[in-house]
Amino acid sequence: MTRPPNENLPTIKLVVVGDGGVGKSAITIQFFQKMFVTDYDPTIEDSYLQHVEVDGQWCILDVLDTAGQEEFSAMREQYMRKGDGFLLVYSVTDKNSYENIIHFHTQILRVKDRDVYPMLLVANKVDLVHLRKITEEQGRELAHKLGIPYIETSAKDPPLNIDATFHEVVRIIRNQPQAELEKRKKKKLQVLNKCVLQ
Amino acid sequence: MADEIFKVRTEERLKIKIGEAKNLLCRNHGSSLHRDVYCILSLDQEEIFRTSTIEKTLSPFFGEEFQFEVPRKFRYLSIYLYDRDRHLKQDKVIGKVAIKRQDLASYNNKDHWFTIKAVDADSEVQGKANIDIRFEPANNRHKLSCQKRLLVRVVECSDLTLKNGSCDPFALVSVLYSNGKRISKRTKVRKKTVCPQFDEIFEFDGSVGQDKDKNSSYTVCSENEGEICELHISFWHDGPSMGDDVFLGEVRVQLQGLQQQNAALRNAWYFLQPRSTKDRPMPSCATPPGTRLSVNSTLGSLRLNVQYTADHVFPSYDYEPLRTLLLQSIHSRSISSSAVQILGDIVSNKTEIAQPLVRIFVYHDQIVPIIRLLAEKEISSLTDPTTIFRGNTLVSKMMDEAMRLIGLQYLHKTLRPTLDLVFNEKKSCEIDITRIKDTNLAKTNLANLKEYVQKIFKAITQSAVHCPALMCQIFHNLRECATTYFPNNREVRYSVISGFIFLRFFAPAILGPRLFDLTTEQIDCQTNRTLTLISKTIQSLGNLVSCRSMQQVCKEEYMECVYKEFFTDQHMQAVRQFLEIISASSNLQTVTIDTPVTLKEGTMIKRAQGRKRFGRKNFKQRYFKLTTHDLSYSKTKGREALCQIPLSNILAVEKLAERSFKMKNMFQIVQPERALYVQAANCVEEKEWIDLLTKICQTNSNRLEKYHPCAFINGQWLCCKSPNELAPGCNAVSCPENNLHMTLDPERDLQRMHSLIISNISGIERLLTSRECSSVYGADGCLTFEDMESCHHTLKQILEVAYQLEHKHRTYQRMLARETKYGSKAAPFGDDNYLLASRMNLDSALLRRHGPTEPSFSIS
Repeated sequence: MTRPPNENLPTIKLVVVGDGGVGKSAITIQFFQKMFVTDYDPTIEDSYLQHVEVDGQWCILDVLDTAGQEEFSAMREQYMRKGDGFLLVYSVTDKNSYENIIHFHTQILRVKDRDVYPMLLVANKVDLVHLRKITEEQGRELAHKLGIPYIETSAKDPPLNIDATFHEVVRIIRNQPQAELEKRKKKKLQVLNKCVLQ
Repeated sequence: MADEIFKVRTEERLKIKIGEAKNLLCRNHGSSLHRDVYCILSLDQEEIFRTSTIEKTLSPFFGEEFQFEVPRKFRYLSIYLYDRDRHLKQDKVIGKVAIKRQDLASYNNKDHWFTIKAVDADSEVQGKANIDIRFEPANNRHKLSCQKRLLVRVVECSDLTLKNGSCDPFALVSVLYSNGKRISKRTKVRKKTVCPQFDEIFEFDGSVGQDKDKNSSYTVCSENEGEICELHISFWHDGPSMGDDVFLGEVRVQLQGLQQQNAALRNAWYFLQPRSTKDRPMPSCATPPGTRLSVNSTLGSLRLNVQYTADHVFPSYDYEPLRTLLLQSIHSRSISSSAVQILGDIVSNKTEIAQPLVRIFVYHDQIVPIIRLLAEKEISSLTDPTTIFRGNTLVSKMMDEAMRLIGLQYLHKTLRPTLDLVFNEKKSCEIDITRIKDTNLAKTNLANLKEYVQKIFKAITQSAVHCPALMCQIFHNLRECATTYFPNNREVRYSVISGFIFLRFFAPAILGPRLFDLTTEQIDCQTNRTLTLISKTIQSLGNLVSCRSMQQVCKEEYMECVYKEFFTDQHMQAVRQFLEIISASSNLQTVTIDTPVTLKEGTMIKRAQGRKRFGRKNFKQRYFKLTTHDLSYSKTKGREALCQIPLSNILAVEKLAERSFKMKNMFQIVQPERALYVQAANCVEEKEWIDLLTKICQTNSNRLEKYHPCAFINGQWLCCKSPNELAPGCNAVSCPENNLHMTLDPERDLQRMHSLIISNISGIERLLTSRECSSVYGADGCLTFEDMESCHHTLKQILEVAYQLEHKHRTYQRMLARETKYGSKAAPFGDDNYLLASRMNLDSALLRRHGPTEPSFSIS
């Protein structure tokens, strides 16, 4: 691993969403602090910052870990506006959490006012084989329906696919040329508008 | 017939979240290109709610939610966007989003982006007009008998728009002829009224020659002869000088040819319409930019989330089968096959169904057993006790609703003092060093945060005795249940309660105090962050006793210093005690609430009561506050009360007829010696004040039976003309339903349940017909064959009850459609409102198939 360069790095804002108790914080903490938390302390809103190298390119990852309980859904759209990419997490032991993914997906697209947006479907707790209720096939089916990639994870030591998950979202964000172009276009247009109007 | 209609009431509720706007045009004047934007929500032209101003942006985020009972009929729900201008005195309107009432329901529950439309005086219209149109044979001045005369009687208008607080309306009646000629006549101006009585008749010739003296029209058959084609009646506010008249709306009636003429012959009411585009003056360069842009140019868009429900609520006995079916769930052989659980599984939006369910069960005193049964089921299928009740399931949503319904006063009493302090002091509490510029401040901020957290922590842990008994009973059951299923896990009996009272009650309330009516004020960015930090710490503290290991992991590094302070044995002990008391088995909670709890407050205008013998009876703005003890008002918020009216002195609370002072939204608070006349800011506020005051004073033994709908002015009551100020009332007071649970309306909630069942009826049918029933319920492996049978049985019952009730709805709708007379004051011409009356939830084929008369559908 090379040392992170000092010049201005691009900041990428990721948001981890999903029902309560599916392991959003476990995944996030495993990624940032390389450990598995056994105690369950429901999250309200935690944020983490770290320099990360993905495919040889450095960036600052700004990850927001959110509350799963619907009591906090009033804050949802606020972080949905800010996120550059989203991890949609469900637990393979909890059917409800699987079924609720679609609501997160729709709301993100509606808030962003777009047909597609960088998202990754994350099937967590795959280590609990005997308790599993949602199969890999069902997971892939949902991912296909939503038009987003799918990954299976476990935050418990030894972790499975935790780094891969975060790196994958960064890649998805980087590989969306049309969106970036759109943004730039808009900015240009605005500048043009200003010139014309003044 | 009419009797039946009278028994059915319509209850409308609107919840709207104003999300954000984007792509707003930048300012093209002044120093800044950005705008300071706020939104105004209105019912037609009446302002109901206003968001805070988001500064210096072209994509403002509001994220503000507002909900209310709709107090009156309206045509449009509009959101106006304004640009606040510090230099020019008047804020400028950027544009608006207007949604027809009939279309509201189609946007329910999902975020939608709406195009912002231009606003000008010509499009801002409300109210209706009564107009009588007829033809008469021409008088003998004309030789030809085929000549007709058009008679237009402008009778009256109702509910016109106020322009800058006033309205002096007049009508302009014009007739257009086929040869392009136009003849206009106008009524006299009526002063200071939005409901002018004109009653003026205008005559027009049936045909007219061009540019000739009408009286000498001997060339009747000339080519320039023009027939009547259209009648325009426009209404205007009489401005101070000629050019200043303001458009209030118009009615256009086609009169070309016999057919149209015959159709138009009537005395009818019409909705006023915006000015037709061809009649509008051309936009000139002098028009201020932003107020009248070309139709094509996009003004940006606005994201809204609306939820509008209109329920036709029938008399109580119509809901008996549904009520019985739901309440039976408690005695069902297994909760999995009960109506409540099945419906909870079918309806995907759990909040939508939890709300009416909780209210119905609270009303019938069955909330404790139903939650116990549902919770037991969830706990029994749980594998990992650490995630107990963490998901979004039916029972967790029902707990949430129950706590809000039962415990709101308790919540206010506990949190309000500290939160008020937070709002007023506005001390910075940011401790994340990546978010503060001056790291030296970190220490002070930490001290501030600690102080707030300590205050709230103390308030919560000492509030146990005030926790409502019903909530305590529910907590007790949850704890028992957890102990039974996890006898070796000491922590879970605490976490099962803290997961509700802290995670789903106190923490969300601290984080979003506006959603819990803890404040009505706007919350700035910094205060928001403070609330987030307090909420996080309180939530972790509540969770403290249920952690298995003492080594609390600090998720975010900067929080460590806070945790160090609070994660002590002493704090743990306090939390444990608190949880123990609120889940204790015996009911110790007999403490009555002695300190007054604020129920509602806000600014209104009141008329002087005449407490002093001399002095003018003028109108003044005051800050009103209603507590569980009294109603008081002061000059401004926080000032000493000028007058306190004990609740026992309130004999009646009624609306005040508009004609008393020619002021809208007025109501009266009748006391033994006098009445207090108050004007609320808008119709929604008025309804809320009246409802709350009526409710809280309902048990007063000295309540009046009769009252005066008008005020006592110039030595007489305007209503009954009695010259005696102490004369008993002339009208019976409005009688609120007399039941024990005053705030609950079980019929309405049952109707809501019915609507939910109907909108999910295809799902229920599918479940019944296919053998999906077994695959869904058999999958968990916890259902026996008998359970499946009874599940099947319940599904059948649900369907039958729903079809029966829906049949009544359809009969009612048909009757309504028959009875409604278009063109009457209640249903004027002009909007496509007849579509609403004919719209049905169910397509008729479905009902015919399963109608209750059908013998094929009966329970075996």
